[in-house]
Amino acid sequence: MNKVLSDWRAIAVFVGPALLLYTCIVLIPIFWSLGLTAYEGSPITGFRLVGAENFIRLIHDATFFKALWFGTRYALFVSAGQVIFGLLLALMYAFYLKKTSALVRTLVFLPVVLPTVAVAQMVSKLFAIVPQYGLINSALHAVHLDSLVQAWLGQGSTAFWIIAAMDIWKAMGFYAILLYTGLVEIPEETIEAARLDGAQGWSLARFVVLPLLAPITVASLIFSLNGTLKVFDSIMALTGGGPGNATTPLTLLFYRTSFTYSEYGYGSTLALTLALQCLIVTLLIFWRARKSGA
Amino acid sequence: MQRTSQAQGTNPAAAGHLTATTSHSLQFLQRLPITLLVLLVVFIAVYPVVWIFMSSLKSSVEFSSSPMWALPHTLAWDNYARAWTEGHMSKYFVNSVLAVIPSLVLVITLGVMAAFGLEIMRWKLSNLASLVFLVGIMVPIQIVILPLFTMYFKAHLLDTRIALIITYTAFGLPLVVFFLAGYFKTFAREIIEAAIMDGATIYQVFFKIALPMVMNALVTVALVQFFFMWNDLLISLTFTQDPDMRTIQSGLLAFTGQYGQREWGPTFASIGLAVAPTVLVYLLLNQMVMKGMAAGAVKG
Amino acid sequence: MHKNIRFTALTALLVLITVAGAQSKKVVFLSGQNEDVGYTRIISELARDYQKQHPNVSYEYQNNTTDMTQKLQLLAGSNNLPTLYSIGEPSLLQQLYAKGEIVDLEQTFKKLGIYNQLNPVAVDINKKLEGGKLLGLPLELNIEGVWYNKKVFADNGIREPKTWDEMLSAAEKFKQKGIQPFSASGDQGWPLTRLLGGYAERYYGADAMDRVKAGTLKLTDPGFVQAAATVQDMGKKGYFGQGVNTVDYDTAVDAFLQGKAAMFYMGSWELRNFNDPKRNQIGAGNIGFFNLPAVKGGKGTMSDWSINTGLVVAMNQKQNDAALGEWMKYVFSNYGTRSMSELGALTGFKVSKMPATVPALTTMTQRKLNSAKKGYLWFEGYFSPKATSLSQKNVQLLVTGDMTPEDFLGQLQNGK
Repeated sequence: MNKVLSDWRAIAVFVGPALLLYTCIVLIPIFWSLGLTAYEGSPITGFRLVGAENFIRLIHDATFFKALWFGTRYALFVSAGQVIFGLLLALMYAFYLKKTSALVRTLVFLPVVLPTVAVAQMVSKLFAIVPQYGLINSALHAVHLDSLVQAWLGQGSTAFWIIAAMDIWKAMGFYAILLYTGLVEIPEETIEAARLDGAQGWSLARFVVLPLLAPITVASLIFSLNGTLKVFDSIMALTGGGPGNATTPLTLLFYRTSFTYSEYGYGSTLALTLALQCLIVTLLIFWRARKSGA
Repeated sequence: MQRTSQAQGTNPAAAGHLTATTSHSLQFLQRLPITLLVLLVVFIAVYPVVWIFMSSLKSSVEFSSSPMWALPHTLAWDNYARAWTEGHMSKYFVNSVLAVIPSLVLVITLGVMAAFGLEIMRWKLSNLASLVFLVGIMVPIQIVILPLFTMYFKAHLLDTRIALIITYTAFGLPLVVFFLAGYFKTFAREIIEAAIMDGATIYQVFFKIALPMVMNALVTVALVQFFFMWNDLLISLTFTQDPDMRTIQSGLLAFTGQYGQREWGPTFASIGLAVAPTVLVYLLLNQMVMKGMAAGAVKG
Repeated sequence: MHKNIRFTALTALLVLITVAGAQSKKVVFLSGQNEDVGYTRIISELARDYQKQHPNVSYEYQNNTTDMTQKLQLLAGSNNLPTLYSIGEPSLLQQLYAKGEIVDLEQTFKKLGIYNQLNPVAVDINKKLEGGKLLGLPLELNIEGVWYNKKVFADNGIREPKTWDEMLSAAEKFKQKGIQPFSASGDQGWPLTRLLGGYAERYYGADAMDRVKAGTLKLTDPGFVQAAATVQDMGKKGYFGQGVNTVDYDTAVDAFLQGKAAMFYMGSWELRNFNDPKRNQIGAGNIGFFNLPAVKGGKGTMSDWSINTGLVVAMNQKQNDAALGEWMKYVFSNYGTRSMSELGALTGFKVSKMPATVPALTTMTQRKLNSAKKGYLWFEGYFSPKATSLSQKNVQLLVTGDMTPEDFLGQLQNGK
């Protein structure tokens, strides 16, 4: 049997094509990109070796730090929101809804599959102020709260909350399903035993259910952070990083640096910091999870 | 599943000493806030989508003359016609289909083969190879965009569907491989080993046993990939400059840039057109989609 | 007789050989605007006329709706630049010229004997922008200033302001009455930085940006700070209306042409919409035009105008051969006249025959243009792509008060 399963030619046939494509399109470019950080230029102006210049520039670049801070703040906030709302929904599915649960789950999941660009366009119309009031502003106007009518997406302070709300709205149904799957797998005896010990409602959730859900919650958080740190579509389509660069995370700064300013070397340096950030966050969460024994 | 529905049966809020009837109405009253909450949640999740389709049928005057939440007075199907022709949504639609379908076929074919090779076959470096694929899940695509751009540029692949197809395929592979490898590990290993004992060749095993076993999983994972590819913006925005090559998402971005605030009707119609396929696929196959996405996340 | 026939046959043969031998040529025009408006429309029409007479020179128009700079970088790298193309970044233009990709139009036009078709003012402006060489076709000749709704002005007893303070007090009055003082696209950014630049030109004189370029003046100097603070103040007081940063270009045009705003800073290229009764609901006769007013103690005057020749359209040196020369002779000898008669548009080309009726608004603009003593470029004219982008993005933060004038200008001075 080993002979059949270790046939190198069959292995090459099965794994070869995927590995080859993956190597060419993903792996080699990763190393290439690392190399680019030592250069500056673009295909049209040509490249010149600049050594560590890009990294020196990075640590003096206020725009970079602003984007890093915005991206991190956004990721932490949105991921927390996605997982917390997901958890609340999951608890609702499991403990308060019976037969209706399937229908509610299906409906709440719907935003997950919608194209981000379309969702962003929709949200921009919801919060529009010109040439007509969007849904939100016209509702405020209708209940005579005109002082609250504002350019929601035209000012950095409110634009952040709208992007965050949109991305939480879009993904909460997904995390609800993920956590619900985990909830369903908790043995009924465990919950019954806790009930007999007098645990009810909140205390049941807090001391019995949530600790048991910890591993899948951590997994959800990693998955979510992995997505929110790389956010591109929703911000690109909703505010384009504006007003000014008030809603510009690293991903958009990278795009602008590379393709508008034609600074491929510095662009690669920004991309590298983004990759490192993703890596650090993942390691941090794994480490915390292991330490707390979850 | 069954376990929970039993667990749900005992309502922790219901107190034992009340008589059956009063407990029933009291239970209803106690549940009222939560019922309202559930309705609110469903409303928040679904209403915006309904709003898009409603607004897409409004004539341009209606946006300024009647409230944004009003039902359309007339059905201005014309908006869709304009988005489809003037807005070139028809072209973008075709481009998306021609990029996504071949990518799906490729990623599934290559993915199932690789998963089989990695999980079932025995070789020294299989763990390392799995790890290499894992990198692709964590690494942001931004880091490879510039080299890929330069590569496609030199190979004259920019503005072609091939660029989109190979990028979608390569970036879809890690998730497909992991999902299917997990599937092989749990369900197929023993059966396959038994078949080999009986003298089947590896290719027979793959086509006659392994493939039929993962057929359901294939559909699920293909669905998940469909949503990723159909909804992609970054890749299509970067590798296609030619308006004739745009996919529906980058096209929608350009369309709303062009018409933007002036023409709300056609803009909503184009949003509706971009959303419709995903909504349809989801309404038909929702259970499978949810299961697939959740499973993909847990494995990843 | 006999001889004659032979001669004719020989000529015909010769012609045939020449036609067959002349390489068929394809002229491609790449631009970001639609083909049926403005200069793209005229060029396309003339090129198609030419194609009818010379079937070996075909023509194709390509409309690009993505980032033009990015697109051109791509095309240049693969030696695929089209015959004519709009190019928004002066620095990229210089790079391409240095690589021998761009036609020196002064040389070529002189060689072809059509240099006299060009308006000298337009040539000067172009050269200023293009490092002393004529690299762009002056397909438009625009002046910029403040267009206003005459009726709204009259109803409120307001006359064309002569000083910036008068303009601001007029704005305040409109605001009190519930009329939006200015329409402006903050989404585009440049309509706001134009005001800032205009203020600085009035403060330092028409050579302000030339001095910044030469390094004798800094963007962080008091005049610029005052300019930025003034524009910021206008934004904070709500003179640009609600949600200025979400207003896109067409919405801003519409707001003015539907009578929703009293004033509109814009270039004369918008005459084509002002003269369009479908778009213009306040009536062309109801539109007035004044230059940005003077600043107290400033060196600039109201006879200094912001003048430009539109987005630079450059030509490809690699395709600059005899056949293209003939094409250029035909197209550019007729361009000025055709633009005037069809669009009532002012260009940097001579008009040989004035049409019988020119829209009054166009004539008025032409008069203002003729009265110009000095011209200056727009605020970002000499900036790098990066500083241009910073200026037009950050101005959104400036007008909402989220960025100080000092910070705004400091970033530009560094990124210039």
